[in-house]
Amino acid sequence: MSETHDDLERIAEAEEQWRRDVLEPRVKRFQLEQSPTRFYTPTANRDFDFLEKVGFPGQYPFTAGNNPFDFWRAHAEAGAKLGIRPDAPGGGGGAGRYSGYGTPEDYRDYQLRMQSLGSRGGPNVAFDLVTQCGYDSDSPNALGEVGRVGVALDSFRDFQVIYEAFTGERDIDKVASNFTINAPAAVIIAMYAALAEKRGIPLEKLRGTPQNDILKEFIARGTYIYPPGPSMRLFRDTLVFCRAQLPKLNVTSIGGYHIREAGATRIQDLAFSFAIGCAYLQAGVDAGLEIDDFAPMFTFNAFGGSMELYQEVAFQRAARRMWARLVKERFGARNPRGMMIRQPIAAHIGCTSTTLQRPLNNLARAMVGGVAGGMCGALPAAYPPFDEPLGLGHSLEAIQLQVDATRILIYEAGVADVNDPWAGSYFMESLTDETEAAAQAELDKIDGMGGAVAAIERGYMQRAIAKSAYERQKRIESQEELMVGVNCFTGEKELEVSVERAVEELYDPGQMATAEERQCAKLAELRRERDGKEVSRTLGALEASAKDEGANLMPDLIECVKSESTIQEICDVLRGVFGEAEPVKL
Amino acid sequence: MSSDRKIRVLVAKPGLDGHDRGARVVAYGLRDAGFEVIYTGLRQSPEQIAAAAVQEDVDVIGLSILSGAHLALTRKVFEKLEAEGAEDIPILVGGLIPEDDKSALQEMGVAEVFTAGTPISSIASFIESRIADA
Repeated sequence: MSETHDDLERIAEAEEQWRRDVLEPRVKRFQLEQSPTRFYTPTANRDFDFLEKVGFPGQYPFTAGNNPFDFWRAHAEAGAKLGIRPDAPGGGGGAGRYSGYGTPEDYRDYQLRMQSLGSRGGPNVAFDLVTQCGYDSDSPNALGEVGRVGVALDSFRDFQVIYEAFTGERDIDKVASNFTINAPAAVIIAMYAALAEKRGIPLEKLRGTPQNDILKEFIARGTYIYPPGPSMRLFRDTLVFCRAQLPKLNVTSIGGYHIREAGATRIQDLAFSFAIGCAYLQAGVDAGLEIDDFAPMFTFNAFGGSMELYQEVAFQRAARRMWARLVKERFGARNPRGMMIRQPIAAHIGCTSTTLQRPLNNLARAMVGGVAGGMCGALPAAYPPFDEPLGLGHSLEAIQLQVDATRILIYEAGVADVNDPWAGSYFMESLTDETEAAAQAELDKIDGMGGAVAAIERGYMQRAIAKSAYERQKRIESQEELMVGVNCFTGEKELEVSVERAVEELYDPGQMATAEERQCAKLAELRRERDGKEVSRTLGALEASAKDEGANLMPDLIECVKSESTIQEICDVLRGVFGEAEPVKL
Repeated sequence: MSSDRKIRVLVAKPGLDGHDRGARVVAYGLRDAGFEVIYTGLRQSPEQIAAAAVQEDVDVIGLSILSGAHLALTRKVFEKLEAEGAEDIPILVGGLIPEDDKSALQEMGVAEVFTAGTPISSIASFIESRIADA
């Protein structure tokens, strides 16, 4: 792309001639209005500056990747020969595969079983919706939800039961823990700290990632409790506390993934995620923290989520460049680590790209996402398992196929052997620029509204996402967008390939069915056994601190947790002070 | 039912599930198809849904559930509708419903179960024929 001005003029002339002599006659011959394909030349991107726009892997602006090669890539071949799984979660003492169901006892036993099958990492905990929404298992609001989408957790006692599976070589100073928790994130961090204290482990040794991304809950996912303002105060308190006490704990995992799954376009996903990320960064700056100290502890949760291979690669490149510039230029950061988008996987198809119709096709779809992931400079993650849309939980068979698909891309196809293989492509650089410019325009619009919190308070992001989801549905119903086996190729000549699940369930359905009853019985026992006065005292202290906007609630929350106050008791105190968020209507 | 009155649909999210993409898309789609649509927003209790159905005098209720709590929550909505004397309002269920649970819901009295990939036009024509038959 370093053509001189004269070269470009010659190419432009030749391009015009090709259009006239070759392309247009063919379009006419096939009786089309326009060509169904595009072709890019150096004229697409005349001002392209390689060092400014791309640079080198591991250097600002990180378009070509965060590292010259990633951790998993360093020993990938050696690992394969030894049968070690550098491609699997939990390698290197990180958190393992996302999981959770039933009671804490069920989940502890599940973890022990996974360890016997080779799982090496810490827990990557899915909590049930009751926990995520700050209720107890015996609340009327909990009906039908206890232990369903994750493990039920009512108190510090339950938290300790889960961690009975993590001792010795897997103690919490050796493995990392991930917690998919947002509104009550501060309570779970308090439990993690209390557990370390009880085990005599210094807090500074704790590693892991609480999702702790409350703003996206208002626009996707929906497990908010308090209004956005007080929610940001809780975020600030966790951020300040973690930097002072748990320096190795990532503060947040900012969700691009959920926003896209909720229906956002790529552009909305980028702009909304970064507006939210900027709100969190600003919260740290406003609390007096040094940007270079805390920005490196922010992570992202797998941007991506469509079948459009080229666009998803461009999206990752644009995202890396854009975030690096925001952190550097808007926040004046100097530490490059804080400018990187650290995420477990990058481009992938997202669960909404999978179809209930002819579900084995989802393996082919996930493979496309894996190619995009490898080509954007990340693990070529063929995710999710093909049985995702069946609503039965991932089967071991589907997980095996998914992991093998990723391995085939790494070892047989060599997808991850070149950093940013599209760098310098006339097409890809144009698409990357277009993606970045459109996302920047949307981000400017949100800044104009006063930032992410203001845009959420007025319902802007929520409505924009719902509208995009509906527009997509209309495109599918009108066959403007084609989905194989859904709105095309559905005739009688197509064969229905059946799916059998031969291996036993990962999550015992019997345990899930009785989780509510067992959990409620344990909760009643807890309420009988604990020191009620201590519960009242700690909850009272929490309430007093909550009313003082300047106070950090984490020390009070740790005391509440240690007194065995329940999650709902703690959240109810904060509901009383902060109020509750109202759901957005149409 | 007089022919000039639009069919009224309550689209409801019972329980704690926050996945409302499907509910919103169906609500928009049915509105564009000429129905009067009331969307409850997230986290509505079965009591609130039954009360809203009666107050809004709806012809049909659509429940959207993706958390796995569909059996318990739908059963409760039926109970509450009965308590309100409105058990004749047909209930449709949409969301992430495993194949085996579809028949359980239908045995409970659910008029139809619509899962991922269902065109909104199918839901609209089902409601129209169901109301016409009533």
